[in-house]
Amino acid sequence: MLKIEHLIKVYEDGTRALDDVSFTVQDGEFLVIIGLSGSGKSTLLRCINRLVEPTSGRILWDGTDITAASLDELRRIRRQIGMIFQQFNLVKRSSVLTNVLSGRLGYVSSWRSLIGQFSREDMQRARRNLERVGIADKANNRADALSGGQQQRVGIARALMQEPRLMLADEPVASLDPSTSHSVLQYLEALNKQDGVTIMCSLHFLSLARAYGTRIIALKDGKLVFEGLPAEIDEDRFKQIYGEDAVRVEIL
Amino acid sequence: MNRKKNPLLAGLLSLFVPGLGQAYLGDRRLGTTFLTAVVVIGGLLVWKNARLLLFVLLAFWLLGAWDAYRRAQGGKTRLAIPFLLAAFLVYAVAWQTTEIAPMKLVKGVGDIKPLVTDILWPIPAAFTRSEVVETARDVMQVPCSDTPPSAEPQPEGKPQIHVSSNCAAIGERITLTGTGFRPNWPGEVWWENPIGQQFFVRQGGQYLRFRTDAQGSFQIETQIPLAVPEDMRNRPQIHHIEVRVHWPEGPWRASQTLELTIAKILETIFLALMATTFGIIVAFPISFLAARNLMSFSPVSLSIYYTTRAILNITRSIEPLIWAIIFVVWVGLGPFAGTMALAVHTIAALGKVFSESIEGIDTGPIEAITATGANRLQTIIYAVVPQIIPPYIAWSVYRWDINVRMSTIIGMVGGGGIGFLLIQWIRLLRYEDAGVAVWAIAIVVSILDYSSSKIRERLV
Repeated sequence: MLKIEHLIKVYEDGTRALDDVSFTVQDGEFLVIIGLSGSGKSTLLRCINRLVEPTSGRILWDGTDITAASLDELRRIRRQIGMIFQQFNLVKRSSVLTNVLSGRLGYVSSWRSLIGQFSREDMQRARRNLERVGIADKANNRADALSGGQQQRVGIARALMQEPRLMLADEPVASLDPSTSHSVLQYLEALNKQDGVTIMCSLHFLSLARAYGTRIIALKDGKLVFEGLPAEIDEDRFKQIYGEDAVRVEIL
Repeated sequence: MNRKKNPLLAGLLSLFVPGLGQAYLGDRRLGTTFLTAVVVIGGLLVWKNARLLLFVLLAFWLLGAWDAYRRAQGGKTRLAIPFLLAAFLVYAVAWQTTEIAPMKLVKGVGDIKPLVTDILWPIPAAFTRSEVVETARDVMQVPCSDTPPSAEPQPEGKPQIHVSSNCAAIGERITLTGTGFRPNWPGEVWWENPIGQQFFVRQGGQYLRFRTDAQGSFQIETQIPLAVPEDMRNRPQIHHIEVRVHWPEGPWRASQTLELTIAKILETIFLALMATTFGIIVAFPISFLAARNLMSFSPVSLSIYYTTRAILNITRSIEPLIWAIIFVVWVGLGPFAGTMALAVHTIAALGKVFSESIEGIDTGPIEAITATGANRLQTIIYAVVPQIIPPYIAWSVYRWDINVRMSTIIGMVGGGGIGFLLIQWIRLLRYEDAGVAVWAIAIVVSILDYSSSKIRERLV
């Protein structure tokens, strides 16, 4: 169980990205975070694994306060939290396999990773995860030789190497076309349903949020403005989250 | 607001210290400009000691006071023309100081012609053939004694010479006849004094040469030279007169000049290679310390970043030539000094461009690898290093190319490489030899330039 308590993030330039956000995520949920660009979705996700340091507030994961963790503890916590990104964040010039293996670094000692020596099990694990996302044949290609959807699948395979209990997905399909978006989200859904991995995923499109989310939270200007089931978002709620001028765009 | 100020006071202030009146009126920039102008003109006056400058200085000083006075009254003076005139004055002094004389460019054209032709066409200095020499000699007693020597026996079937007399006084003329030499070919007359010193005989400032006829014979008149110290000129001694006819024969081969040039250009290439290699080895770790995006995580790391950057900037601002002089004193003349000089400069230069390539990388992978729970070192190895390898290689190749070019200069102060030969030949006015070196440099540099640009094209 992940419990966010009064989370505030103020950037150095004074931007108040998160303003007293509190909510709880149960294990096994597929939580979708919606909101306009700049509403604080990315900051919220990055606060959870402390890629962004929160200004104040607490993040409790099974009773452990992530915000108070020491560097060593933090690394152990991060190991269990996978993350995928809008821009995939692969090392473009490295091979797909190397990119996937790098997801295992949290479990490997410094000197072994220095000489690039991964154990046989890790190699097998990497192959398995590539198979799982359907690109085992691309293992030796350079990452930037793959299409966007394939690159995001490499991103998922990399996160799977951590054997995560929680998966953070920051706009994972914002750079992809509609059909590829669905295929990527279906991999996340399978992960959620088959492996019981808790998913926190930020999305632009409400239709996608409704299709995949078991629960939805909405952010507006850093504040939590909605928390509930997908079906509860009616026209009024929609206007409240996206503003009066917003028009619904469906992605099928 | 100027109205509240006293015009007379403003004028007096500017009379006291130029620009002070304007500053008092609130226009500090104009005040500084006046003060600077007066200081500059004053400085030129002290340096050049020209009376005209004294008038200009006084004029400016008074203009400043007048301007302050008028300004305080709310008026204005036209300052553009006086300041333009002052700028013109500075240019006039600069023109004079740098001794600019465009006519010299026209007049000197004739002087550079031999130099330019030698440098552009140094082939005669680069290749040589073996020489075949025909000689014949005879004795010569100077001055005559009671028992003059008899002529030396001339070998049969070989070139022979005959002198009109085997003894003579200094300055006396003798006739030299020769037979059996290579026909229709130039020859030289040489003199050997009693202790065996040989020299090319000169007559009226010209070297004494002749040309054989179709039968290989010649006849030439020569004067007996003074070939012993002045106080011995009256003591009869035995000298020799020698005739030489020589011509090149056999295949062309590399001259000593070309051999030396090749040896030294190779030394230059290796010098640049070592300097670049040392430079890369040191610059690689340093570049991580000088990359802001990697070093901004704590105040300590940030201060390391600033220190590293400052050291790199200072080191880089010192020319390799200066480093070479330092290292020549430190480790002695030779290529090691040049290598060290270039290595130091390479560290500074590569340290900067390397760290800038780190600063320019895609930060996404760093974020992603950090999120997996990797530590800092692992993040650098897996997210940073793969991204910087191509620019690092490209910059390193480019640097090698620059180092080859620079090492030609380093040699001029004794840092090894071809520069040393080049400067030596230029000072000895051996422009053809210098031309060989210049061509060698040009060829090597252009090959490296071409290949380094190809490599960079492929990587970046």
